Order: sequence, then C-alpha cells, then structure tokens
Amino acid sequence: MSDARRVLTQAAALVALSVLVGAAVHFPLVGRFARGEFRETFFQASDYPGVRLITLEEAEDIWRTQTAVFIDARRGGLYSEGHVPRSLSLPADESARTLPSLVMALARVGTVVVYCEGGDCQSSLALAKRLHEAGCRDVRVFTGGWEEWRAAGLPEENGQKQGADGERVGQE
Amino acid sequence: MGRELVRNKTVLLIFRLVLGGLFVYAGAVKAFDPLDFAQNIRNYQLVGQSLSFVAAIVLPWLEILAGLALILGVWTRGAALAVTGLLVFFIVLTAVTMVRGLDVDCGCFGSLSRKSGWGVILEDLGMLALGLSILLDRPINPKAK
Repeated sequence: MSDARRVLTQAAALVALSVLVGAAVHFPLVGRFARGEFRETFFQASDYPGVRLITLEEAEDIWRTQTAVFIDARRGGLYSEGHVPRSLSLPADESARTLPSLVMALARVGTVVVYCEGGDCQSSLALAKRLHEAGCRDVRVFTGGWEEWRAAGLPEENGQKQGADGERVGQE
Repeated sequence: MGRELVRNKTVLLIFRLVLGGLFVYAGAVKAFDPLDFAQNIRNYQLVGQSLSFVAAIVLPWLEILAGLALILGVWTRGAALAVTGLLVFFIVLTAVTMVRGLDVDCGCFGSLSRKSGWGVILEDLGMLALGLSILLDRPINPKAK
C-alpha cells in the first residue's frame, strides 16, 4: 500500500471508529433522536427543572406585575441602545465572570426572566442554563426576545449597563 | 546528523503530546454534553437540526480518538491528517462566521469557549502548524516505521 493511501486509510478508519463509538456511547440519545426528539430544540427541560420557556404574553404579565427581574443576555452595546425597562444587562459571554455577585442578588428576588435578540438567538437559553447551574431555581426564558417585545410596542428604555446592584457589570 | 535526528524526534514527540492532549480535552468536554455542543453547531446557522445532532455525536469522538492516536503514536500520520483536516475546517468556518457577522460561541472547548474571532483562528493556525509537521514527517523508508 502506498504511503499516502495508508495515511488516508488510517484517517478514514478513525472517522468510522468515531461514528461507532459516538453512536454506542450516546445510544439512548440517538434512540430519542430517531423517535423524533430534538427536532425543534436541543434543550432538555428535564435536565433543567426550574427553567421554563415563556411567551410574550407571559413575559409582559410578569413585567407589569413586577414579579421577576428581567435579564438582558445580549451584548452591552445592544442593551444600551434599548432594552426592557428595569432589566439588568448580563451578556451571556461575560456571565461566567460576573455571575457570583448577581446570583446573590437574584436568589433574594426569586424569579428571573432572561431574553436575547429573539428569533434564533441562543444566549438567553445559555444564560438560563448557567443561572440554573448556579442555583437559581425559577428561570424563565422569554424566547421571543427583544424583537418581539419591540414589535408589540411595549415600553422601552435605553442607557448604561446595569449590574445587579446598580453597578456596572464586571466591576466587582 | 544522528543528534539532529534525535532532536527532531523529541520535538515531534512534544508536538504529538501537546496536540493530542488538546484534542482529547476538547473532545471530552464536548462528548460530555452532546446536546449543548449540538446547540453550538446549530448556532453557526450553517447546517440544520439533524446534521447538528449527528455532528455533535461524532465530532467529539473523532477529536478524542485522533488525539489518543497522536499521544500513543498509533496511526500517527492518519491521526495527524484527521486533525489537520478538522483544523482547516474550523478555520474556514470561523472566517465565514466572522464575515457573516454572527455572534456565536466557538464551541471549541465546551463552557470555556470564547466568541468566534481572530483569537480562535490564531489558536487553530498554531495547532495546524503542529499537525502539519507531524503529517509531513514522512518516513524515508516507509517499511522501517
């Protein structure tokens, strides 16, 4: 066998092995996929008890009754341009650094609602998972996000980033 | 001459261990939470839900197995080919993602991932250099290896 061919065969064998090992290790997941799960979202509610996806109506109701703190998971610049009034900015990529002090404050409040741009945006869900892992037990994900909020003509606010204690996020 | 060869071998061994270690680690964190990784792939908005799922099941294991092969010195150049192939794909993917202006986690190292950007491309280029030196370390007499 020529040298190049042997190298190619080895690489192909590694790919084939990966398919086999992957399918074997994640057999239950593959089975669930075959039965039609995960066709809409990869989010498993059972993995994150306490994290719930909510609609615009639910989000608006919670906001009007002020029964939860809203958290904006978009980048700081977008937050400054416009956000849900009284919401705090916690960009999903910064949350690993700033979560501890926020979590202390949020734990006292109880319920939090997270949102991002809307449409296909995933940062709110990512943040919700992180909050859940940090101990928040009632996290609602407003999947329609900022786009839906705006399109519905609901109140807006703009200005600086707000941390949980009214300080700039990231300064601890 | 003989000394040069030994040194070269030592360098290549270090390359193999570093690159293999990085790939095993990157694969392991992803294999641990395939659904999270599937979501990462989906966020690139390049492939649909099903292909994201399949890639999330297979890719981490390709990284682990190729990384292990590099560390153990089994099928070394085949593993180096797989790894360099993956790296070229990651670099193109990151570049395309930047051009499209998407704001996504690279998904490279599970929860330690950063945003797709120049940093990720530089990292991948560095690893690509290691991979290519292993791949192109052609035995003079193939039968001797």
